[in-house]
Amino acid sequence: MSGEIPSSDPIAHGRDLPRGFDEGCDVVIIGSGAGGAVMAAHLAEAGLRVLVLEEGPYFRADEYKNFTPSQTVGRIFREAGLLTAFPVGQTPIIALTVGRAVGGSSVLTGGVCFRIPGEVHHRWVAELGLGELSERALEPAYDDVERRMSVREVPAAMRSESTNRFVEGAARLGIGMEPIRRNTGDDCEGNGRCNFACPASAKRSVDVSYLPGALAHGARVVSDALVSRVLVENGRAAGVEGRILGGAAGAPSHRFTVRAPVVVAACGTVHTPLLLQASGLPDRAGVLGRNITLHPAVRIAARFDEPVNGWDGAMQAVYSDHYAEEGIKLMGVYTAVNILAAGFPGVGPAFRKRVRQMPRCGVFGAMIHDEGGGTVRPGPGREPILSYEMAPRDLDRLRRSVTILSELALAAGAREVFTSIFGFPPITSMDEARRMERARYDAKRIECMAFHPLGSARASNDPRRGVVDQSGESFELPGLFVADGSILPTSIGVNSQVPIMSMATRIAWRLAERFPRLQARSKATGDVGRLALAV
Amino acid sequence: MQNGAKDPAGPGAIFPSGGPARHRLDWGRSGLSARAQRVAHAVTEAMLSDDGEGGQLVPGSPAACARAVAWLDDALGRSSPDLRRGFAFISLVIDWLPLFVIGTPGRMSFLPLDRRVAYLEALEASRIGWLPMLLVAFKVPLSMAAFEDGAELASTGFDRPTTVARRKLAARATPATRASLPVQPTRATLGDGA
Repeated sequence: MSGEIPSSDPIAHGRDLPRGFDEGCDVVIIGSGAGGAVMAAHLAEAGLRVLVLEEGPYFRADEYKNFTPSQTVGRIFREAGLLTAFPVGQTPIIALTVGRAVGGSSVLTGGVCFRIPGEVHHRWVAELGLGELSERALEPAYDDVERRMSVREVPAAMRSESTNRFVEGAARLGIGMEPIRRNTGDDCEGNGRCNFACPASAKRSVDVSYLPGALAHGARVVSDALVSRVLVENGRAAGVEGRILGGAAGAPSHRFTVRAPVVVAACGTVHTPLLLQASGLPDRAGVLGRNITLHPAVRIAARFDEPVNGWDGAMQAVYSDHYAEEGIKLMGVYTAVNILAAGFPGVGPAFRKRVRQMPRCGVFGAMIHDEGGGTVRPGPGREPILSYEMAPRDLDRLRRSVTILSELALAAGAREVFTSIFGFPPITSMDEARRMERARYDAKRIECMAFHPLGSARASNDPRRGVVDQSGESFELPGLFVADGSILPTSIGVNSQVPIMSMATRIAWRLAERFPRLQARSKATGDVGRLALAV
Repeated sequence: MQNGAKDPAGPGAIFPSGGPARHRLDWGRSGLSARAQRVAHAVTEAMLSDDGEGGQLVPGSPAACARAVAWLDDALGRSSPDLRRGFAFISLVIDWLPLFVIGTPGRMSFLPLDRRVAYLEALEASRIGWLPMLLVAFKVPLSMAAFEDGAELASTGFDRPTTVARRKLAARATPATRASLPVQPTRATLGDGA
């Protein structure tokens, strides 16, 4: 292994490289999702030499727009969409959506854009002492993210009839619905399948909205590049090493080394803790990989008398905070028809009959603002094991969500409601909906999903309580920054894309200012030789 | 098999060909053993079974079953070894549980179709939470691939030719005209801005 990256492409397919490489740059970023791509763009624009290493493959936007949902799941979802949180105690088995490709999970979002709620910011400042993460401090970053991603309110005309039915039901129950803001500019056609890649290329995921700017300023990206550890020299981060995935069958993996005075871990909440552990980072606070929040979510499908053809319209268009005090957010949702079919109850003729009723079915969902009971540990192989113990309060919230959604559907005129609780018959009355909430049953019978794992390497103002400081720099390893969902100090109760990107923006701005000093410190200690961290 | 890719199934596999369309970056590695493919095929055949014209139970179409199993095989082939081992384990479990769930001796993959349907229904309705999830682990990925094409896609009522086809918008010309589209059915306006 020697020399520069053997490719002149700005985004090099790692598996096509004929050999490994030993590169140098100012900042090496691990991960190209909502955190990594944002960091790359800002730091490259600030004139730094940036290299992004992405474990997943690289598909161009004009390629993945033509992927069917199953192709997207197979190629871009981590573990082919079969990633789950292992339940501990009375906890549902939670399916997790995490991206693994250039662009990361941002390619797979519904495009929903929320800022962190004011009360969450207030808690961070008042209870956790994180004055630098106040709503006011993040305001310029929010503005920058929303401008670059063309965040717009979904117009009423883009709502599907599925959404309209639930809005109608909510109104009858005195529940207000608000339009969602999304990163689709004015280009959304309402194809109803954003999380399996937008066929109209309307969604401004970071591979579209940020990486091109980074590349234009000299940044480079290598896909299929799995970083195994952060290099440490004289108690400072000094680069990374790893290996290229894929390549010819049976051929040995090419290895690579990248030397840089600044290393940014942006591998996501599930994988960042593992990288830090594999790099020998001590966990003096005892929080690395713990207290992960997921925003567990449920959805229901409701059958109406008339066709609603819910696939015509924006996948997500409205939300409600009517139950915010109970920690529940109602979210309009739809998805690709074959994915919806997979979620209908039954087997054989009963299943097929329900699938044939799909044109008359509307779908709505809810997610809960959870306390956080997730822990990530190294697994037997390459992938970590994520376990989750749901707090009793959160389980009650999840069950309450199913009842609320059922009531909305029935108020809108639904004939029957297929809930996400296995083995229960469809709900046909308000009484049945309320009885279901009171019923005792194994939590694992609840079909549950999550899209926002957060908080495995929390920011803090005290090394005894967190992994990174408010600027994203590791307490234990100077020169190592973390810029992904793992640094969020608590559950936020809203979709995490804009919050992660805004935190990354702020970290990048400060890092760009501090870089000359960081570089000088690195050079001052760089000739002493590589030392292992004392664990 | 499209694009000249190698057959992902090994000797003894249920489906001789017909795997998913290939991209240059696809790994082309099989993720299911021949035994696990048989189990997945048996689940798919029962899951997609339907009432025939004479009221008899008809298994899922061979094309849909092959499509679903081929997708799962391919998807697991590009996933981690941990996941492949996990699927190998649960394919054993779902195959050997009929005796304990419906009292029928024998492996699921060798049961007659009506007993297989009864077994899978019993799994879904079980009060032991792990059992419905055992079914879901197969049902979700296999259904996703099965209902993506052919008669199965048509049965969803989806009115576009493929799942990639874009919505036909009357006013696709400009974003401005799209934004000014009338709000869809009038019943819907009740909750606007509430």
